Amino acid sequence: MRVVIAEDSVLLREGVARLLADGGIETVAAVGDGPGLVAAVEEHEPDLAVVDVRMPPSHTDEGLRAALAVRASRPGFPILVFSQYVEERYALDLIGEGAAAVGYLLKERVADVSDFLDAVRRVAGGETVIDPELVTQLLGRRRRGEPLDALTPREREVLGLMAEGRSNLAIASRLSVTAGAVEKHISGIFLKLGLEPAPEDHRRVLAVLAYLGRA
Amino acid sequence: MTGVAAAPRQERRPLRERVPLGPYGPLGLFVDPRTWRAVPYLLIVMCWGAACTALVVAGTAVSLALTVVWIGFPMLAVVMIVWRGAAMLERRLLRLAFGVSIPDPYAPLTRRRPLGWPRVVIRDRATWKDFCYLALLFPLGTAEFVTLVILGNTTSRLLLTPVDLARHGYAWPLPELDHEVRGTAAALAWAVAGLGVFVVTMYVVRGFALAHAWWGAFMLGTGEKERLVARAAHLRASRARAVDAAEAERRRIERDLHDGAQQRLLAVAMELGRAQVKIDEDPAAAKEMIASAHAGARAAIAELRDLARGIYPAILTDRGLDAALSHLAARAPIPVDVSVEIRDRPPAAVESIAYFIVSESLANMAKHARAERASVVVCREGERVVVEVRDNGVGGAVPTPGGGLAGLADRAATIDGTLTVLSPPGGPTLIRADLPCEW
Repeated sequence: MRVVIAEDSVLLREGVARLLADGGIETVAAVGDGPGLVAAVEEHEPDLAVVDVRMPPSHTDEGLRAALAVRASRPGFPILVFSQYVEERYALDLIGEGAAAVGYLLKERVADVSDFLDAVRRVAGGETVIDPELVTQLLGRRRRGEPLDALTPREREVLGLMAEGRSNLAIASRLSVTAGAVEKHISGIFLKLGLEPAPEDHRRVLAVLAYLGRA
Repeated sequence: MTGVAAAPRQERRPLRERVPLGPYGPLGLFVDPRTWRAVPYLLIVMCWGAACTALVVAGTAVSLALTVVWIGFPMLAVVMIVWRGAAMLERRLLRLAFGVSIPDPYAPLTRRRPLGWPRVVIRDRATWKDFCYLALLFPLGTAEFVTLVILGNTTSRLLLTPVDLARHGYAWPLPELDHEVRGTAAALAWAVAGLGVFVVTMYVVRGFALAHAWWGAFMLGTGEKERLVARAAHLRASRARAVDAAEAERRRIERDLHDGAQQRLLAVAMELGRAQVKIDEDPAAAKEMIASAHAGARAAIAELRDLARGIYPAILTDRGLDAALSHLAARAPIPVDVSVEIRDRPPAAVESIAYFIVSESLANMAKHARAERASVVVCREGERVVVEVRDNGVGGAVPTPGGGLAGLADRAATIDGTLTVLSPPGGPTLIRADLPCEW
């Protein structure tokens, strides 16, 4: 797999490159700003881009805007975005209309090497990866008297894992239940929230996040 | 090294407070320069008042009479400008004579529209208060002048009685009394009376000075309302600057944390994560990673320590300004003399602002001034703490908006203090902060 890294801190740029190298993933270019990312993707045609939200010159959401620009010209291009803070707005902007091959993680997740490499592979494979912190935040923001209150604790757990982009199998192994039980929970959740059942994982993430992100 | 060495300051009580009967007794008045400063003004005030009164009364009358032909209007404008000028001169004279500082109270003339100036001048209350003051200056000045001359003349005649007696064999201390003095004892008694009149004269001079200064401040100064309006505007501006300064500071701290310690700690965590994966299959490589993580953690600690010091130096809380400034001086690349001459510790906000003014000034100096020596003086002047940072470098420091010096001025403004930068091209540089504080 070939990857482009966009990150302004030299320290982290090299660190991420080493992590990827440990996992047998080749870094073809490492850039320090938004325009650099767009150019590097054009030039190297990588399989995935790892992008920091905050980059020069504005030090705000430069990286996110560059990522959106890349996605606009190449729909479905796999991008994994790292952010210092959990910002719903960033995540929902990024996911936009298609959650396929998108990841949004807190920067500190790179410290868990195997999780990080797993996330990289999943996004490159077209799946969705959403930071658990963001999901917690979205779930926690709910007000009383909403359909979410009707969910059982186990269903809420499943909903959270779904929102993170986990597949049925991954959810089942995480909760130590059978895949059949997970499917049952999921159809219960969709029924209670009034959502159309979606067969593909990333469509399902989109539906769940759209539901949670609705203010 | 002239100009850089810290001059020792001593608080010395003035002479008038050390003579018998205190500063307001006859001796105290006699040695007080304020008594003697007032005399020249009281001697010229009649002539000066005549000129002023003639100008405003006659000038205005003639101009008004001439308004039937158009020349009256520009003439009135000129007369107005001249009387405002005379009032400005009078303010300075009052300051010289009585030591009262009366700032010019005029509404500002906006530079862009000279055609609107006459309107502003005419609507300005200060213009008309000037008029009244100047119109009354001649009678007032005449009363003061005549009183002073009579008293002075009487004093000198009485004091000279023994001399007259010695020279002519007789003396007429006061011709008005038609009393001839022939005995030495009587002459000496008259001289003693002369001393009494002299004392009365001094009290009268000081009384005139006090009354005239009060009257001048009332008529030529800013009215209470104008003063409060100006004060409110000043406070509003300084509050806005304080809020901006605090915001800028928070942004800087966030940026420093984000770019510095946070990144370093993340890198440490990454190295440790890699080591965790490698430790079984390749212990040597894992060991290297742990060593690199260790170095990274130490760098992060150092960075956090510097950042914390930049936010608030602990030594300032613990030991006060003297210790904190000595610490700063020790870290400076050139020799810095530090002299802190305040006995009681000022309020924490003042200490902190003084500290950051010195810190930023020394940092600027190290970067730009090419100085060989510097000095830092902190002392107390009345209710204020004065901070002075000097260097003998190349000068040319200018506060630019958003720059370090402007930030210091903003910081000083938060407690109503002022920052003055004197830095002519070629040097030397003096940065002075006046920080008011209530003890």
